[in-house]
Amino acid sequence: MDDIQTRYNYDSFVPEKFEQWLNFDASPKVGALAPEFPLWQLDQTPVSLHTIVAQHQYTMIEFGSFT
Amino acid sequence: MNVIAEKYSSNDVGAYFLYTHEAHPGEHMPHLTSLEQKFSHAAKLRDILGVTRPILVDALDGACHRAFGSMPNMTWIFNRSGLILYKSDWTDAHSVENALIYFLEVLQRRQAGERLAPFHVERMDYRNQDRQKFYQGLERNGPKAVTEFRNAFPDG
Repeated sequence: MDDIQTRYNYDSFVPEKFEQWLNFDASPKVGALAPEFPLWQLDQTPVSLHTIVAQHQYTMIEFGSFT
Repeated sequence: MNVIAEKYSSNDVGAYFLYTHEAHPGEHMPHLTSLEQKFSHAAKLRDILGVTRPILVDALDGACHRAFGSMPNMTWIFNRSGLILYKSDWTDAHSVENALIYFLEVLQRRQAGERLAPFHVERMDYRNQDRQKFYQGLERNGPKAVTEFRNAFPDG
């Protein structure tokens, strides 16, 4: 894994590893167009963020994980 | 959030869960080292935690998650054009539903002939804090996750 993958997928919940990622203040603004990103469905089919949001009048996306 | 997703699906509201990274890795649910592992953990989110919404998986380096601020459990709402309508640094079903109701009313008002112009608003919302449920989640991840959280937030 490259450095960004290793640091992003930190192995311990310690401030020096997780705090660097908490950057909500610099996230895209309300009223802006969402940036495009490749994503995958659970069956590993490739899809993209723009394709997902184009399917409905409104789309809500919750970010998170098992932990 | 599953309930809201189902409640508003007939209003052409899509609802997804985007799998990011392990916020509190532990012995039972370790940090991610491969995309295959990420798909496996995402499936457990569905099978064990009962997320019924379609689950999307981000790249292993979290490119999408990082671009949107990397908070551990945030929710964003978009319109069909990809315009960002709502962003919250934490997920609270009451807040999300409140926003959805407002945006659905905007559609009705426009259909009724109102001329509406967008403007920005900031608001402080409030979420439920269930510490017992949170710690149960940490214990499910493994003792390491519990210890590390207590060390990071002794008053948490």
